[in-house]
Amino acid sequence: MASSLAGSFACNCKIPLHRRDESVRSQQRLLKSAIAPYHAVVLAKVKRLINSTNVTPIALRQGLFSYRGYNLTIPVYIALGLLLSVALYSVTANRFPFPQQIIDGFAFADWVNDGRSWLEDNLKTYTRAIAEVVKVPLEWLEETLWVLPWTVVLLLLVIPALAYGGLKLGLLTFFGVLFWGMVDMWYEAMSTLSLMTVSVAFSALLGVILGIIASQSDRFESLIKPVLDTMQTMPAFVYLIPAIFFFGVGATPAAMAIIIYALPPAVRLTNLGIRQVPASMVEAAQSFGSSRLQMLFKVKLPQALPSIMLGVNQCIMMGLGLAVLAVFIGGGGLGEQIWKALTRLKVGWAFEGGISIVFMAIIFDRLSYAISGVGKDKTRQPDTRFRLLPQKWDQNSVARSLERPLDSLCQLYHSAAGKLTGSITTPLHFVIPGLAAALQKRPLFLPGILIIVITYFVASQFNWMSSFPAWLELSLRDPIDYAIDWLTVNPTFIGITQGIRSTVFLYLLNPLDSFLSGLPWWYVMAMLGLIVWKSTTLRFAITTTAFLLFLAAAGLWEISMFTLAGTSVSVLICMLFGVPLGIVAAYSKPVDAVLRPILDAMQTLPAFVYLIPALFFFGGNKTTAVIATVIYAIPPVIRLTTLGLKQLPAEVNEVAGSFGSGTLQTLFKVKLPMASPSIMLGLNQAVVFALAMQAITPLVAGLGLGKEVYNAMNSADLGQGLTAGIGIVLLTIMLDRLTQGWTRNQRRALGL
Amino acid sequence: MVYCFMASESNRSESNVTPRNAHLIYAWASDWYSVGEVSKEPNNREEIMQFKQVTTTAAGALALCLTTAGPTQAAGILNSAVNDWTGGAVMCEIVHQIVEKEMDFKVKRIVMPSGPGRDEAIKSGDLDYGCELWPSYSTSNTQYVEEFGGDGSIVKLGDSGVVGVSSYYVPRYMVEGDDALAPDLKTWEDMNQYADLFKTLETGDKGRLLGCPAASWQCEDSKRMEMLGLNYEAVELGSEAAHWAEMQAAYKRQEPFIAYAWEPHWIHAALDLVAVELPEHSADQWPATGWALDVTYNYGNPEFVEKNPDIAELITNFELTNDMQAPLILAIDVDGRDMEDVASEWLDENEDTWKAWLPK
Repeated sequence: MASSLAGSFACNCKIPLHRRDESVRSQQRLLKSAIAPYHAVVLAKVKRLINSTNVTPIALRQGLFSYRGYNLTIPVYIALGLLLSVALYSVTANRFPFPQQIIDGFAFADWVNDGRSWLEDNLKTYTRAIAEVVKVPLEWLEETLWVLPWTVVLLLLVIPALAYGGLKLGLLTFFGVLFWGMVDMWYEAMSTLSLMTVSVAFSALLGVILGIIASQSDRFESLIKPVLDTMQTMPAFVYLIPAIFFFGVGATPAAMAIIIYALPPAVRLTNLGIRQVPASMVEAAQSFGSSRLQMLFKVKLPQALPSIMLGVNQCIMMGLGLAVLAVFIGGGGLGEQIWKALTRLKVGWAFEGGISIVFMAIIFDRLSYAISGVGKDKTRQPDTRFRLLPQKWDQNSVARSLERPLDSLCQLYHSAAGKLTGSITTPLHFVIPGLAAALQKRPLFLPGILIIVITYFVASQFNWMSSFPAWLELSLRDPIDYAIDWLTVNPTFIGITQGIRSTVFLYLLNPLDSFLSGLPWWYVMAMLGLIVWKSTTLRFAITTTAFLLFLAAAGLWEISMFTLAGTSVSVLICMLFGVPLGIVAAYSKPVDAVLRPILDAMQTLPAFVYLIPALFFFGGNKTTAVIATVIYAIPPVIRLTTLGLKQLPAEVNEVAGSFGSGTLQTLFKVKLPMASPSIMLGLNQAVVFALAMQAITPLVAGLGLGKEVYNAMNSADLGQGLTAGIGIVLLTIMLDRLTQGWTRNQRRALGL
Repeated sequence: MVYCFMASESNRSESNVTPRNAHLIYAWASDWYSVGEVSKEPNNREEIMQFKQVTTTAAGALALCLTTAGPTQAAGILNSAVNDWTGGAVMCEIVHQIVEKEMDFKVKRIVMPSGPGRDEAIKSGDLDYGCELWPSYSTSNTQYVEEFGGDGSIVKLGDSGVVGVSSYYVPRYMVEGDDALAPDLKTWEDMNQYADLFKTLETGDKGRLLGCPAASWQCEDSKRMEMLGLNYEAVELGSEAAHWAEMQAAYKRQEPFIAYAWEPHWIHAALDLVAVELPEHSADQWPATGWALDVTYNYGNPEFVEKNPDIAELITNFELTNDMQAPLILAIDVDGRDMEDVASEWLDENEDTWKAWLPK
């Protein structure tokens, strides 16, 4: 069920941008299930490809231009378009600025600012009242977490992790939680934890409700979709400062901002999950005469649960992304630590805060995933033995001596818990049979509670159990600082980084930027419209052109062109390095094993943390912003390339091999073309991620629309911020649809 | 609710001290089990009792939090805007500790970048006060503060004592020593002579001046270069952190750079910088001149000031000069000490100074 749901979700191209900022694992899940149903088709295709005399990987052999069976229509068009553009550029460079009269007449920013004062005068009372609703549980939870002994908090997280995710997740959670105390950020982590818990709870609740409504009403759905798109792509800096006025400062407005920011995936995936319930099931329910409400709550909602849980999981990941930015409105917690560290250039300190966030993200992600049970194969027998390391390592004595005690401890815990629950439920059966049965199904529940309660009382007797003991503290600051310092002055390393910087600037960024902003605006607009039309629909092409006209009229044409150039260069670098890396990882297990945690960290580590080291190495200039963007946007490319290759049926190798095709030949002629939809999805992700990063890069000399937004925030000019924010939204939607269109065409070409 | 907050605070501050004295734990544990000596130091027992109390308070507070909101014990809560730069933050911290010690107030410290957002919050009463505002860089003082022609929705609470100087700086290794690259770079008039030294890829033939990191500070560096006829391009690095990072990295590699900076600031504790003399400030010629001296001030929400005259008076009297602030910055940013400890140590050592600030 889950797989078919998510599968149709991944290739349902009506849902743009839903994967922004989402966790790695769900990407994999999505793709895995997206590809699975096509295996049989793919296999037939491989056979056909190999059998045909000339191996033509990409179909559509007929076209205007072709050479030795390769369809060259698109490359020829691209080449012609480029030639024309260069010719035009040499003639008209910088001669056609957008008419100033229109820009002067279109005072969008002023209109927004007028509207804002009206809103502030009329809405403040209501928004403050809403904020109170969030404030009460938030403050209560924060204070409770602060007062609770750290051991109790640890167990509160580890015990569910053990119960749902097994020993591996339990250990991960254990070390993650311990890490917060070890780097002396326990209270900050508790603040962030409470902020996340409360805001995600509200966001998920609201999202599911809205999602249910959207699934019942087509009109509501079409109304809410563009709103969700905008919410998800609008840089948070646009609304953080207005949030102060409406919701105050501190954790409460931060929670409000997170609720808004994290809402879209929950709405989207709930709506989708309900809408995707198979028609046969609905008919069956109808034939039994179920009413509409019955149908919704008894049939559709349970069926849609995996999708809904995926939405909640996404909600968490997006929320954590914003928890750091919340420092701009006094959100406190780990974000505050990172910000404090950064303003003092204490890189090691910032890294400690960043890694704490990474741990929180991973724990939340894995735990919510484990609890939801999505993707859990219920037919498979649970492993009789817990394993920390791969099965292959069984022979290794060190690994064994590590695993065995933990394993037996865990077994002991399970059997003891089972016995305890049994001894309680047996008499309980006579009193409340329902409760007893429920408890028996979850044998770890009661003992878990018992352990936590006991710990709570014991902890009040031992100081080291109630507040984090100093002897457990372990500072990473100095080694990290030392390493960064060493690299900063290392001539070889700096030589390399400066080489990269000048290459990117001189040969990519600068030429593309002057090219795009130098071309006449009407020409760029027409060309973009044409590309969009050919890749998607005429209707969307017209919308795109209208978007671009808006940007130009708002006086943001050149700035937008810079953003477009910067994003294109970043994405190009991502593809240039990401695809080969992904291929290597697909073929080599060690590389994959090394890459995996690094990519995990790159995706969840707040960008704030690595911006400063990037600046140390690459210097304060616009190229650094491009490099920071690459760091943020490259993981999905690598992952999706690896995944696309690994997901191909094993038979592909065999079939290709039996025709005498070598490894490289198989890779380039069969596997890569077949994995191309997945790689294209990586491209799409890179584009969306790169544009999301535009809002952050102004912190390290990034220019373009993001800089406009950031400047507007610094001078509390909502109009200017919103205009530039809309610019980012428009570019994101345009490029997202465009790349999705390419993915779809690629799929079609492959006959999927 | 307030009580819960306090209890957690007390637990927090106690816990920071006790676990570090690990011997106490052992002493107490052996006491508990009645094994071995009770304690090597006779007066330990008192401390032990103390932290037994702490843990009981913690448990009590939890129980209270879980059931109902407790009664307010402190006279009130001061919602304070804490600056995100060391000098400003340690100033605030000294005020906070006096308020906590002498006025029976709890202080909620809210860290957020200074700027219009924070001023907005002070104006609307979400925050009660802020310290060390630099008039040259604030867009809201002319809007809200009466002394600067504003509407009075933010009240000035006396000068903070720090007088800020802003200018362009070069590292000392560029102007002094045998292999100094720009030995004669003293004033702005010498800048063109050395423009080549500061060239970068992005600035082409011009020298690169690391200007104010954000446009909203209204430094007008580009305009200044133009008006003074200097062959430099002013670049904005977007954030303060980026600005210092760029300077620090260049300094570590002993590369030439010329950058905007101000004093007092921790960067001068980390890097040895020399100011380049700019034409004297004049409002008419701006921005073809240097900056005015920034007589920084503290400021608060008018309603809060009215309701809490004592605190307002303390903040108004409070004054810490550049020279007094410098060692504090040094202790925090160079020696890497905790800001809270540095502030409380200062209070211990300068009791006469701060007692005089208290309202009579």
